[in-house]
Amino acid sequence: MIDQLRQTCRKLLEDGTVNVVIGYGHSGGGRNPAGQSTPDGPVHPVFITRPEDVDTLVWNDRCFANLTVYLTRKEIKALGKPAIIVKGCDERALVVLEQESQIDRSAMYVIGMACDGVGDPHALKCAVCDVHRPRTADIVIGETAADAGNPEARYADLDAFLTKTPAERMAYWTEELARCVKCYACRQVCPLCYCERCIVDKNRPVAIDTSATLKGNFAWQIVRAFHLAGRCIGCDECTRACPAGINLRLLNQTLARAAEEHFTYRAGMDPETPPIIGSYSQTDEEDFIL
Amino acid sequence: MDNVYKPELMEVINVLQHTADVKSVRIRFWDPAATEKFSFRVGQFGMFSAFGSGESTFNICSSSTWKDYIEFCFRKTGKVTEILWQLDEGDTIGFRGPYGNGYPMEAWEGRDLIFIAGGIAMPPIRCAIWYALENRDKYGNITIVYGARTVGDLVFTGELEQWATHDRVRVVQCVDPGGETPEWEHEIGLIPHVIERANIPAENAIALVVGPPIMIRFTLPVLDKMGIGPQDIYSSLENRMKCGIGKCGRCNCGPVYVCKEGPVFSLEQIRNLPNDY
Amino acid sequence: MSDVISRQQLLELVDAWIAQDKRAIGPVAVGEDLHLFMSMSDSGQLAMEGYIRPQNSIKEFFFPRHEKIYRYHFKGHNIELEDVEPPATEQLIIGARPCDAAALPILDHVFNWDFKDEFYNQRRNATTVITLACATFDDNCFCTSVGLSPAAEQGSDALLLSIGDDGYEVRCLTDKGKALFEDKTQSSEKTGEVIDGPEKKFDPEPIGDFVRNNFENPVWQEIALRCLGCGVCTYSCPTCHCFDIVDEGTASGGARVKNWDSCQFAMFTQHASGHNPRANQIHRQRQRLLHKFGIYPEKFGAILCTGCGNCMRNCPVELGVLNSVEILREAATRNTGEGK
Repeated sequence: MIDQLRQTCRKLLEDGTVNVVIGYGHSGGGRNPAGQSTPDGPVHPVFITRPEDVDTLVWNDRCFANLTVYLTRKEIKALGKPAIIVKGCDERALVVLEQESQIDRSAMYVIGMACDGVGDPHALKCAVCDVHRPRTADIVIGETAADAGNPEARYADLDAFLTKTPAERMAYWTEELARCVKCYACRQVCPLCYCERCIVDKNRPVAIDTSATLKGNFAWQIVRAFHLAGRCIGCDECTRACPAGINLRLLNQTLARAAEEHFTYRAGMDPETPPIIGSYSQTDEEDFIL
Repeated sequence: MDNVYKPELMEVINVLQHTADVKSVRIRFWDPAATEKFSFRVGQFGMFSAFGSGESTFNICSSSTWKDYIEFCFRKTGKVTEILWQLDEGDTIGFRGPYGNGYPMEAWEGRDLIFIAGGIAMPPIRCAIWYALENRDKYGNITIVYGARTVGDLVFTGELEQWATHDRVRVVQCVDPGGETPEWEHEIGLIPHVIERANIPAENAIALVVGPPIMIRFTLPVLDKMGIGPQDIYSSLENRMKCGIGKCGRCNCGPVYVCKEGPVFSLEQIRNLPNDY
Repeated sequence: MSDVISRQQLLELVDAWIAQDKRAIGPVAVGEDLHLFMSMSDSGQLAMEGYIRPQNSIKEFFFPRHEKIYRYHFKGHNIELEDVEPPATEQLIIGARPCDAAALPILDHVFNWDFKDEFYNQRRNATTVITLACATFDDNCFCTSVGLSPAAEQGSDALLLSIGDDGYEVRCLTDKGKALFEDKTQSSEKTGEVIDGPEKKFDPEPIGDFVRNNFENPVWQEIALRCLGCGVCTYSCPTCHCFDIVDEGTASGGARVKNWDSCQFAMFTQHASGHNPRANQIHRQRQRLLHKFGIYPEKFGAILCTGCGNCMRNCPVELGVLNSVEILREAATRNTGEGK
């Protein structure tokens, strides 16, 4: 798979189809004497502008990052037309970003990687994944043996959590969110958090305290979850990035499930289905106030 | 416990509006003992509090020889200045300071002084002008060049007239072409051009230039042509500040903390600063 | 001959401390793979060993992530200010690593630079730091590159060194350390294990020279491209100390507070006029490395980094100081290689 990936990228750069390949690579530690990345050492995002550098690209079960987050960052946009490497989960972000007019899908080349799962053991999202094979990419590399994820199990941890009483749940979140330091890693790794000026950075008026108090932390996390309602694609990068180990996945799942239950909608699954927050239909069910 | 972040409470004793969005405020310490203890050097700045909104950084624009009050001047731009705009006599604000290094007025004794200010940048120079006038014998000829985009943008216009009446003081006021009114009697032109035309003697001069970066950029070559060296040209920089005392890590330009080693720098020093402001 | 204490006795010491209504802080297991320094309610929570190091630092117990510096009350036209004292509670930090403790004398410089921050100083005075010498390290550790080591003593009141069998050699380094362990240790033939630590990965002096003299070098873009500006590195760093001051309150009053801030945030240096001297992640990454290796050593004679590796472990895109310095080093060698 890696050879095909490197070949494809080399050609894209050589014939000028793209100016930069956004992919996964290694730090210096994992290089063989020929300068090629070797399958050890931490994996991180790379931005390849020269065809000869494509040998630094890697593909393995440590390709955690959701690279679509870079498509809305100005430092990366300045590099020119991109080719971007996506897993099936990452790809969902592309769909949402285009529906929200943040990217021009035709102005990039999407390389989908068939993926059996990341992490060792596999991340929670992988066991219930039903997008192991990217669906809208310009090219898909590799085949995947993983079965389609079990839809029943998609919200299993949420269901388990909801058996607790409200008081227990509040105690749980109080303990979790007490550890939040307001580093905003959750926001910065999220491809859908692309606002030029986030609501927590606004000070006329101050809508959310910047302080890392319980009040400030609850306000921040709940508002962010709500701003992602019907938009979060479940890549769980926020949960991985959080230095305090807060179970953000659970928070985002709550709203994702609400979107699925009430609107039969899952963000980023179908480019043709209009986003639920961004659209209105006369046939919308209304058993609650939106 | 000695709290370096805690301001003194100040009473507003006068508010003067200069333009559509610029006011200056005169304040004095509520606590007379604080007035006794307080002194500063012209060119230093303070952190001024609008409690509930935050603090803003302004130069103290009054002379250090005026003992009973201090003054600051601001443009209504953001969250804190919006609240400061509402101030009335009798209101209370906070003040922390004086911070920063101030102008080297002692080192400038015996020299001619050329003050050049653009727009809202007159207040940081005003304090030095008054100080020099109050110590008239110590300084040579004083030239003040002050310009703004339009007549409506000039501040402290009453004092400009006053300064021109002092001994060996020449005041050159200007507005950008198109910024004049029919009654305008003074110069019309961009500040660098006006300085060139003004033929100011410069053999023994110190120049203090404060204004927007673009004005400074085009003024410096003119001063250079006049023969004023970079060690004799000074400016007052500004940068975003929060603590004002060198701890919060925000205002540094490379290795130099504007709040501690500035805000007053010679051109020689500014040229050594990285492009971080 | 050395002084030793058993693990059981150490835990009893911690419980005794807590029983006196004092605060005991140590590494606590949070979930499977995560340890964080936290306040403990009993010694059973203490999880000192079995992993490299906690993924946060102890700076929050001297320089909290949020603290009130005074209160203000609106009384008609008037304003009343009310002092806030930092809590006078004595603190015991147990199980800090040498890279945590060494950060404290480094931070002392900036918090006492002409103006003394008493919020910080009072907490420093009220805290006893018991450091556990490291018995292991990983690829992210680089304390030996910044002048420290797995058993470095700077900033510690006492150093614990494992003697196996659930016991530790105790080396009291200050009066506070001696006061804590007085009559609590026994003599022993055993001495604690001291390991060499990671091999030195770089020399900080040429790095300092490079960052001071290469403000416009394109290498900063190389480093910063993947940085997402998230602030995790600065918040989990034992020596990063940038902060924000804001007012929080209602129409009747509130408090002025000091909160952690990060030079990596886009708004950090934003002026009210809209101008931002560091508008780009490239500028912001440059500021961080320049501050750590160039500015702070120049001003205070100390590198603003203890090589703990938290930035590396926590960074979602595998950046962090060591990775960045390695890129700088390559660039520096390229520079000198070109006919210097």
